[in-house]
Amino acid sequence: AAAEEFTEELLLRPLPDRKALAHFHFRSSAPPASAAGRHHHLFPKAISQLVQKFHISELELSFTQGRWNYEQWGGYDPMSTNNAKPPGVELWAIFDLPLAEIDATWKNLTHTLSGLFCASINFLESSTAFSAPRWGFKLNEGNLRYGALPREAVCTENLTPWLKLLPCRDKAGIASLLYRPSVYKGYYHSQKLKLKSSQSLGIILDQTLTVVLQPNTVSGKQLHSTGGQLQPSWSMEHLFSKKLSGKCLVSKSSRVFVEIEKGIVDNVDKAGSDVSSNNDLFVLSTAPDRSLKELDNLEVQSSSLYEYDVNNYNSDKPLNVGITWKLPLIWSCTRAPYHASRFLMGSGNERGSIAMSFLSTGLDKQLVDSSNDCSIKAVVFQVVPWYVKVYYHSLEVFIDGNSKAISEVVDKIHVTPSEDKLLPGTMEMLLKFPCSMQLATLTLDFDKGFLHIDEYPPDANQGFDIPSALVSFPEFNSSRSYPEADPLFVSPLLENFKEDGVVKSYTEVLLVPLTTPDFSMPYNVITFTCTVLALYFGSLLNALRRRIGEEERGLKKAADKRGLIPLLIAKLRGQKVDPSESESTSPASLPRSKLLLKVVFVAVVAIVFHYLSNS
Amino acid sequence: MICRFNYRHMANTLSLYRTVKRLGIPDERIILMLADDMACNPRNNYPAQVFNNENHQLNLYGDNVEVDYRGYEVTVENFLRVLTGRHESAVPRSKRLLSDEGSHILLYMTGHGGDEFLKFQDNEELQSHDLADAVKQMKEKHRFKELLIMVDTCQAATLFSQLQSPGVLAIGSSMKGENSYSHHLDSDIGVSVVDRFTFHTLAFFEKLNMYSNASLNSLFNSYDPSMLLSTAYYRMDLYKRALNEVPVTNFFGSVMKTIHTDSAYTGFLAAHDAELPLSVGNNILDHVMLQNEASARRSNIEEMNVSFSKFCISFI
Repeated sequence: AAAEEFTEELLLRPLPDRKALAHFHFRSSAPPASAAGRHHHLFPKAISQLVQKFHISELELSFTQGRWNYEQWGGYDPMSTNNAKPPGVELWAIFDLPLAEIDATWKNLTHTLSGLFCASINFLESSTAFSAPRWGFKLNEGNLRYGALPREAVCTENLTPWLKLLPCRDKAGIASLLYRPSVYKGYYHSQKLKLKSSQSLGIILDQTLTVVLQPNTVSGKQLHSTGGQLQPSWSMEHLFSKKLSGKCLVSKSSRVFVEIEKGIVDNVDKAGSDVSSNNDLFVLSTAPDRSLKELDNLEVQSSSLYEYDVNNYNSDKPLNVGITWKLPLIWSCTRAPYHASRFLMGSGNERGSIAMSFLSTGLDKQLVDSSNDCSIKAVVFQVVPWYVKVYYHSLEVFIDGNSKAISEVVDKIHVTPSEDKLLPGTMEMLLKFPCSMQLATLTLDFDKGFLHIDEYPPDANQGFDIPSALVSFPEFNSSRSYPEADPLFVSPLLENFKEDGVVKSYTEVLLVPLTTPDFSMPYNVITFTCTVLALYFGSLLNALRRRIGEEERGLKKAADKRGLIPLLIAKLRGQKVDPSESESTSPASLPRSKLLLKVVFVAVVAIVFHYLSNS
Repeated sequence: MICRFNYRHMANTLSLYRTVKRLGIPDERIILMLADDMACNPRNNYPAQVFNNENHQLNLYGDNVEVDYRGYEVTVENFLRVLTGRHESAVPRSKRLLSDEGSHILLYMTGHGGDEFLKFQDNEELQSHDLADAVKQMKEKHRFKELLIMVDTCQAATLFSQLQSPGVLAIGSSMKGENSYSHHLDSDIGVSVVDRFTFHTLAFFEKLNMYSNASLNSLFNSYDPSMLLSTAYYRMDLYKRALNEVPVTNFFGSVMKTIHTDSAYTGFLAAHDAELPLSVGNNILDHVMLQNEASARRSNIEEMNVSFSKFCISFI
């Protein structure tokens, strides 16, 4: 393309558990810099500057809240493969630089992104937070860096700058549907920025926002699917409280798709009607402009897409796509071959174990690959922070309850052990499971480390997170084909669906409670120590310096001598001056009188000092 | 941190953020620090919405909020780095206070505080002499011309008791030994939603628009101790101008005076007297005057007085 282009698309899909999925997809593309120079009219300049400054060839940044429910929402289709992301922030980037410079560039990149997206992505800058997988995540030559922050909150302040990268922002076009309270009330929402840059193709920026919502329809009160109940009928207005009143004027194309999955299509076929927008099971509120059939590799219709061109709608005739169900229906989404899950074992603050389980979902591999020695490959990629010290030699594998030798199951393993306060522990494993297996479990033992008091977050007693592990199945491809589609019909969303993609799923985030110190101890220590020192020095000085009897007499003398001036005044007035009564010396002995003189001398000195200090 | 009693502090800060944006200061000039995520917290029944009134009429979080420092990044160290400008080289511009010797800065802090300190997160505090030292550094580095510090915590006035730099004005919601109280409880959300001092500050500003010339004096006098249940104390010994001459938009807004003409823009072709004198006025930053006179055709004069205030909101 010699000019910049922008396309916007929205995909809506009913989910089996009475929810609805909305997937917004915006693509901006810029031609190579040598052709167009530095001026952009549609492409966001912040992104092109980012790509040039940090020499990025690929980057993906996602902000996610909630967990993708693989059992209900599917794990085999391009949507769940590309848009089911781990909670919090996940960032990975491939740089076009010599390997020695990549770490420093990654650090600067994280700071820039934190300023751009109002998130604490700068916490990924230190080497304890990111890792460099070679083949567990994506095959690369060492120029990939990956980091995740599971506890990062996602809210309006992250969406605001993301929307500002779009040419029409959220003022016109499909992005104007984004009513913030609806988006953040969803069960899952994930905003993602993916960019690919090359000398020949320029920069392609894909911004996607995937939301799973509960439509607020009157009949949709039940939150769980129950047999015999009609699925909730919903429309765009139920999901977003608004209708679509036109496209973004600078967009090349603006489309809304409704995806009817294989499960529903099969049911419609069984019911005997043909799969159109108005059939025995459901009806779409507006007639679509086009319908696209997906065919699987057996040339059987798998899913259906109905397309609406927003160009045909405007503020007088807004678009409000919806689906109304006629008959109760239960269906299920295709799942990944195994349901991967992860949990912690053990108790106490010294040690524990991480366990990963793979539960077969019944996806028959015979359909995909028929050979006698059937096995399913799975690649596991896991990063564990340094304070959870994993003993990789303690890896044990159990297949259907029986312990197996590691060499039977693990084909390839690459471990970068953690270093205290320097590096996290990275593990990339290629596993081969027999096709007939029902359940596999892997366990790894770990010791819990100690952190310095400064390294604890303010809410240390909540625990520390181990980011999600990624499990991918390299033999399973989640791409789709729409062979009957018009070749002139170009849609970036469909292009993404057609792209080869390995089926992958993310496990849960683990929360590890670590030993926390008593944070009030520094204060307690200071108080105790100062008290002890005060008592010690006080008593010591008292013992060394105090003369009890002399002090008392000296004080009495000073108190009785009223000072010279009052004495003179009294004398002038002829008053009798009382003799000091404190002198109770016995009249006879000489040493006693010497003592008396000494006492008088001390008293006079005291008075003089008293006067000098008061003047 | 899932502490419920911080909701009203978020609401305080966001109310002031909204007011200041409404009076003209853009997001690039605002540094917003929120120590906890209330709006999208799972315990918030109204996701992406923060209210400062139980009538729930105004969603403070809105559609366009930009938070610069949030969660664990709100620390005393980062706060002092923002004030003094001593950041690591990688820190992006949106997280820096890019002020210079002509700037007017508003610094608003709210949270839990006490005698000579302000609590940050749950494990740190900012002390009054730390703040005074930071302001002194700012003055020496010419990072502000006038600074207004507004503090809404218990014993707020003690936080700025150590200040000595000229050009600083400070107001706190209570004096030493007094507490500052919340305004009302929202039984739907379950927590108090705004503090009294901020509530009355907002009540004052809701009546204003960008072009009002209410003075700081009227703002400071609008605080009624019987309504606040504490004494709002301000110190103006370091501030040279008389408070009744300073408009509130000096700190809280950014006024752009434009003269609208219906005549067409003739461009530079006809102009010959385009001068750009930089005014050396004492009170205004970045005062730029552009005079453009057409010779034969109708005169077309555009005059723009731009005075920018920068400010920083901080929340604990």
